[in-house]
Amino acid sequence: MTAREGAADEPGPEGMTRRQLLRHTAWFGAAVVLTVAGGEVVSHIAGPSGAAADDDPHALRFVQISDSHLGFKGSANTAVEESFSHALGQINALPYRPAFVMHTGDLTHLATPAQFDQVRQMMSGLRTGQVLTVPGEHDSIDDTGQKYREVFGAGTAGDGWYSFDVQGVHFISLVNTLSLEKLGHLGNDQLEFVRKDVAKLPADTPIVVFSHIPLFAMYPAWGWGTDDATQALSYLRRFSSVTCLNGHVHQLFTKTEGNVTFHSATTTAYPLPQPGTRPAPTPVTLPAGKLGEARGIREVAYRPGNPGLAVKDVRLA
Amino acid sequence: MTGNLPMRLGTAACLAVSGYVHAELYVHGYRVIPFVGPAFLVQAGGSFAIAVLLALGGPVLLRLAAAGLALGALGGFAVSRTVGLFGFTEHGLQPAPEALVSLLAEAAVLVLLGVSHLLARRRRETPGAVA
Amino acid sequence: MTKILGTTALLIAVALGLTACGAPRAAAPATAPPASMPGMSGMTASPPGQAAAPATPGVVSIKDFAFAPGDVTVKAGTTVTWRNEDQDPHTVTSTGNGGPLRSPTLNKGETYRYVFAAPGRYEYLCTIHPFMTATVTVTP
Repeated sequence: MTAREGAADEPGPEGMTRRQLLRHTAWFGAAVVLTVAGGEVVSHIAGPSGAAADDDPHALRFVQISDSHLGFKGSANTAVEESFSHALGQINALPYRPAFVMHTGDLTHLATPAQFDQVRQMMSGLRTGQVLTVPGEHDSIDDTGQKYREVFGAGTAGDGWYSFDVQGVHFISLVNTLSLEKLGHLGNDQLEFVRKDVAKLPADTPIVVFSHIPLFAMYPAWGWGTDDATQALSYLRRFSSVTCLNGHVHQLFTKTEGNVTFHSATTTAYPLPQPGTRPAPTPVTLPAGKLGEARGIREVAYRPGNPGLAVKDVRLA
Repeated sequence: MTGNLPMRLGTAACLAVSGYVHAELYVHGYRVIPFVGPAFLVQAGGSFAIAVLLALGGPVLLRLAAAGLALGALGGFAVSRTVGLFGFTEHGLQPAPEALVSLLAEAAVLVLLGVSHLLARRRRETPGAVA
Repeated sequence: MTKILGTTALLIAVALGLTACGAPRAAAPATAPPASMPGMSGMTASPPGQAAAPATPGVVSIKDFAFAPGDVTVKAGTTVTWRNEDQDPHTVTSTGNGGPLRSPTLNKGETYRYVFAAPGRYEYLCTIHPFMTATVTVTP
C-alpha cells in the first residue's frame, strides 16, 4: 500500500520509476557507507591500545602463553613440541624484550619428569627478563603438583602461589588445579594469602591475576570455573583495575564483571570445542591448515597512568 | 512519506541506543568471540547508520532495515540464551545492564515502527487524505 | 505489496551478505570442526554401547573421554576393573582428599583394579580430564 504513494511518478512495468529507483539507491548507498564508517570507528576504538603501547618506551610489556601440553599425542596435533618451539620463536622475534613470559599451565600433558625437563629447557631459550608459570591440572595428575614444584616452585609459597610487582603493577599467580574436583579450587590457605597480599595496596594499583582454570564461570558443566573464586575476587573489589588472565580452555574469551576483566588465552597445542558444542571438551582435530588460526600467544602492555591493560592476542604464525 | 517527526526521531534514538550497547560490548571484549564479535560490529555500525538516515527522513526501505536490525538483535539474544549462537551462550539478563537496555531499545524500535506504520496507513485510508 | 516484499527480501539478503562478509575468518573454526571428530559418533552412541555390554558387572570402560557406565552399583567385596580404551591416557582417582581410588596414569589398554570392601558411595574422576566424573555405589 505504501508503494502507491509514488503513483505520480508513473511507475514503469517493473513497478518503480527511474527516479524512485535512484532515490532508493542513494539512501541504500548512504546506509552502507555509514555502516562501514561506523564499524571502522568502533573497531578503531577497540583496537589501537595494543598497537599504541608498542611505541611507548615506558610501557610494561609481558607475554602470556598457555597449554603447551608437551607429550600430547593425538590427531589434534601430532607435533606439540614443534608448535611450542614455534611459539617461543615468535616471542623471541617480537620487536621488544618482554619483562617476563608467563606460562599459565598445562606445560606438560602427563606431568612426567622428562616432560617437565623438556619444557624447562625449551623455555630457558626465551629472550625475556624472567620465565614464570602456574600449574595446570595436567601438571599435577598423580602427585598434587610435587614434580611441578621441584622444577618451577622456587620462591613460591604454599602449593606454588606467589605475587610480585613490576613497574607499579601488582601480579598474583594462583594455583587452582590441585583439588581433585571437577571445578578449579583455591582453598582457604590461598584465599588468605590473597587477602593479606593485597591488604596494604592502594586502590589505584593495577592488579593482574594469573591462574590456569578461569576464575569466572565460563562453562561449569565442563569444569571451566573455580568454585571459590568469588571469595578471592571480593578482596580485589576495591581496586580500580583488575585483570584476570587464564588458560585451560584453549580458546580466546573475554568477559567483564564490574571492575574485573577476564581473558581466557588460547593454546599453543590443539583447540578444544566451544562451550556446549560437543558432549565433552575433547581435543578437536581441525582440517589441515586451520590449526594455526586456533592457536596463539598473547601480548599484554601497560602504560603508566592508564586505567587498564592492553591485551593483544596474536595467532601462531 | 515524511511521517510523524517525533516518532521518527524516537525510533532513530532507540536504534542508536541499541547500536551503542552493541558497540560498547564489542569494545569491551565481545570482539574476540567468533562470529558474535563481528556480528556485534555490524549491528553497531548498521544501527548508527540507519538511525542517522531515519532522523533525516528516509524511505520505507530504511524502516524495514531498522526493523530488521532490531529483530536480528532480539533474535540473537533469544538464540544465545537457548540453543546457543554459534556455540556462544549467555544466561538471563547478563551482562547487566547492557542486555536489558538493548532489549528495551530494540522492542521500542519495533513498537514505534509498527505504530507509525498504522498511523500512516490510517491517514492514507481516510477519504479526504487521498489527492 | 509485492514491491514491499521484494525490497524486504533484497534488504534481508544484503544484510545477511554483510554479516557473512564481516565474519568469514571467525566463522571458519566454528563451522569446521564437526567434519573431523571421529570420536563423535561413539560419544553420542554411548548409552546403546552400555546396553550392549552388560555382561560383566564390575567392569568400567574408559572410552571417548567418559567412564562407561558412569554409575556402577556392586556388592561389597566386588572387584571393579577399569580399562582405558582411549588413545589419550586417563586416571581413576577419588574426588576430593582421602578417597581410596588412586590409579597411576593408564595408557591405552591398561587396567586398574580396586576391591570395594566397605559399602558406600565412591565418587571419582580423571585427574587429567577432571570433567570426566563417575561413581561406584557399594551395597552391603
